[in-house]
Amino acid sequence: MKVRAMSKEIVSFRENIKRTFIRFALLPVIFIAAVVFILFVFFWNMFMVAGNRKDNEQINEKLGAVMDNYYEMVDTAAELISENGPAITGNKIYPIVYDKTAEYGEMGNFIVLSSDGQVLFSSKDHAPSFLTGKEYLNWGVWRKLKDSEGITDAVLFENNLCIAKGVYKNGNLIRAIVYIVPGEVISSAIGDRNRYVLVTDKNGWVYASNTRGLRDDFGQIEDILYARVGYVRNANIVYYSYMTELEGRNLKIYTINDITGNLKMMLFLVAVIVLIFIAISLITVKSTEISSVRLTKDIKKMEDAFEDVQKGNLDVSLDINSSREFQTIGNDFNAMLGGLKRQIEQNKELAQNAAFFQVKQLESQFNPHFLFNTLDNIRFMAKIDEKAADKMIVSLSGLLRYSIREIREEVTVREDLDNLQFYLNLLQIRFNKRFAYSIDVSEDIMDCLIPKLLLQPLLENAVKYGFSGREKLTVSVKGYQITNQLIFICKDDGAGMDEELLNEIKENLHETKNKSSHYGLYNINRRINLMYGESAGLGIASTKGEGTLIRIVIPKHA
Amino acid sequence: MRNWGVFLLAAVLTVCILTGCGSMGEVKESSSIVVVSPHPNGFIRPLIQEFERASGIEVKVIECGTSDAVDMIKNDEDIDVMWGGSILTVGPFSDLFYSYKTPNEKYFKDEFKSVNGAYTFFTDVPSVLIINTDMVSSKNIQGYSDLLKDEFKGRIAFANPARSSSSFEQLVNMLYAMGSGDTDRGWDYVKELITSLDGKLLNSSSMVYEGVANGKYAVGLTFEEAAVTMLKSNKHVSIVYMEEGVVSTPDGIYINKNTKNIEECQKFVDFLTDKDTQTIIAKTLGRRSVRKDVEVSGLVLPKSEIKSIAVDKESVMENKEKWIEKFGKIYEGAGDE
Repeated sequence: MKVRAMSKEIVSFRENIKRTFIRFALLPVIFIAAVVFILFVFFWNMFMVAGNRKDNEQINEKLGAVMDNYYEMVDTAAELISENGPAITGNKIYPIVYDKTAEYGEMGNFIVLSSDGQVLFSSKDHAPSFLTGKEYLNWGVWRKLKDSEGITDAVLFENNLCIAKGVYKNGNLIRAIVYIVPGEVISSAIGDRNRYVLVTDKNGWVYASNTRGLRDDFGQIEDILYARVGYVRNANIVYYSYMTELEGRNLKIYTINDITGNLKMMLFLVAVIVLIFIAISLITVKSTEISSVRLTKDIKKMEDAFEDVQKGNLDVSLDINSSREFQTIGNDFNAMLGGLKRQIEQNKELAQNAAFFQVKQLESQFNPHFLFNTLDNIRFMAKIDEKAADKMIVSLSGLLRYSIREIREEVTVREDLDNLQFYLNLLQIRFNKRFAYSIDVSEDIMDCLIPKLLLQPLLENAVKYGFSGREKLTVSVKGYQITNQLIFICKDDGAGMDEELLNEIKENLHETKNKSSHYGLYNINRRINLMYGESAGLGIASTKGEGTLIRIVIPKHA
Repeated sequence: MRNWGVFLLAAVLTVCILTGCGSMGEVKESSSIVVVSPHPNGFIRPLIQEFERASGIEVKVIECGTSDAVDMIKNDEDIDVMWGGSILTVGPFSDLFYSYKTPNEKYFKDEFKSVNGAYTFFTDVPSVLIINTDMVSSKNIQGYSDLLKDEFKGRIAFANPARSSSSFEQLVNMLYAMGSGDTDRGWDYVKELITSLDGKLLNSSSMVYEGVANGKYAVGLTFEEAAVTMLKSNKHVSIVYMEEGVVSTPDGIYINKNTKNIEECQKFVDFLTDKDTQTIIAKTLGRRSVRKDVEVSGLVLPKSEIKSIAVDKESVMENKEKWIEKFGKIYEGAGDE
């Protein structure tokens, strides 16, 4: 796999699927089909050529045997004449002729002539004019005879295949032996063949053939076939042609297949295959497109969903059920998004709450009633007890300072206790003997972090409700740690609350929105829930007429 | 993977081609010449066969009419020799040909010894009438004037003298024979003959003698050897030597001056004019030899029994264009009448 993609832009997933289908399904098939077709052509060609050549060689062998036989016959006769002198009778010649021609059934015309064309012997009792005519004495067969000086030669004259030999004595021609080969013998040597066969002489004059075609108007084999072997095209016909020669016999054997039909069929096959492949290609491309669209629809869904989230729209959900893997992704995505949304909501609420509480803090600190009362007290005290008034002013300013100081969520226990002390001071001076308090916070948690103004509202609550109809109120504040938790208890012996109200408040604590007018306890609880989760909480116990106990649990951290 | 596929493909193809071809390609070439000839097929065949056998030179023969043959040489097509075509027709183009004097010429009759060597005389060809004996009796026709008889109107086979040299010979023959030597007077006869043609004018000499032999026409104006060939093929024809006079014009062998095979061409000319060949031509193919030492065949009348007319070769060659044009005009004019 090449690294091409790196240099260009990343190809789309759909494109990849399409290409994969094409490359691994379509192309291999095309390739295989092409190879098969080529192998088919190759083997067809091989068998056709082999068959053709085999035929040719068979004919060559047969014809060769026939010609050898006749040549021997002529040679034997020539020897006989040579040895026994020119006067020769049929008795001596016939046996030779019978001997060599009996197997073919047809005797042919065996002729012996004098050097001036007189017929001395003929097995058919006549000789053709081209052997006897005076005008032919240097022409055709005679020419060859006289040129060859005693060598046996095959001459195709007109349509006669003649084997001729001159008998010489002292350099003079005394006798001419000419054997005219019977056409039937040659035809049967050719036999029945499934291809065109032509037997010609050296110059291409056709002697025997199983077809009327393939020759020109004069009777010679077509020029193109004479000049070339192998694949030959003549007009619009394609042939495969093979030729062998009969050495020394002046004969050529052509075996020729007309393969035009085969070629046309192969071309047709190619065309059909190409058409089929074009169709397959189109179908494949189309169907891979369709199926890749279907498959990637879910991916597209995911793609779109992610894009939406990126743009800030968190209200998307994925509904994928095409395949298990994708379904898992879809569900996980939804869960993740859900969690994210919840987290955001909680943060928002926390922020809102913090803001609210800060407002509330400020409100409570700048609660006009509290301020009025306290200032009134100070004014009153100023006239009676200067020191007490001074202490009150210091405490009040301490409270105010604490509340407007940096608005951070968490402070150390020590810091909050210090603040609480200011508040208690004011209460003590104001209520004098009517109020008593105790603080019991273990030393080892002094540096732990707790929400700012965690404790003060507890006391506010105790004072607000505890005093109703009672003379005296005692409040005790305890704080300690147990196994990584900080426990703060604020207990009073005030008026307490009846069961109905207690239950109401308890239930309200668990609501997400405050439904009662007792916002103090609710806010503390909500606040510590938000900050520390469900492990933190506020608990109440109260008995009417005996007092109330409030317990806060928060995780310890430094 | 792709590269392997392509490689495999190429390999298979190569093997296929190699084995399929094997000995594909040209067969060993021997020397060869291209000959263009208006001679009849049956005349060409035995002579070419023997020449190939005797010399080993391959001959490719293109059959076509005389004027087409001359055009082919003019157009520089690959022709080595033009074999045939009367001297009168081809003579004017002697600048196309190569000058060669065959050693056989010393045996030629005097009138056939070449003047400027641009061509070699081949055979002596008299103009004759050929009649279809199934349709006409030789008693009815003895010469040119008989052609004008009503019974022959529209049944005369005559080729356009512009296209066929034997027809041009016939035109010359008519002009001399019917004008008693004065060719201007001969035109009167020609006009009447054209009328008797009744619009039928053939395009080649072969269409004339074959047309008569096949019964399409009753009588044809042709050359002797064509008629003899038809006779030897046992067609129902017979030869009439015009009683008004017979003109014999030799035909020739013309070597293309641009031939690349001059030696082979010379051998061809030598072969066609040697004693054996001329004897075969005279005895078996029905033509008259140009040699003194060869006698005529039995199928034709000896010259002594024919009324021969001589023509002025120079004058004929000079007037050839004019006469052909004049013939053409008269022929077209006859259509309007």
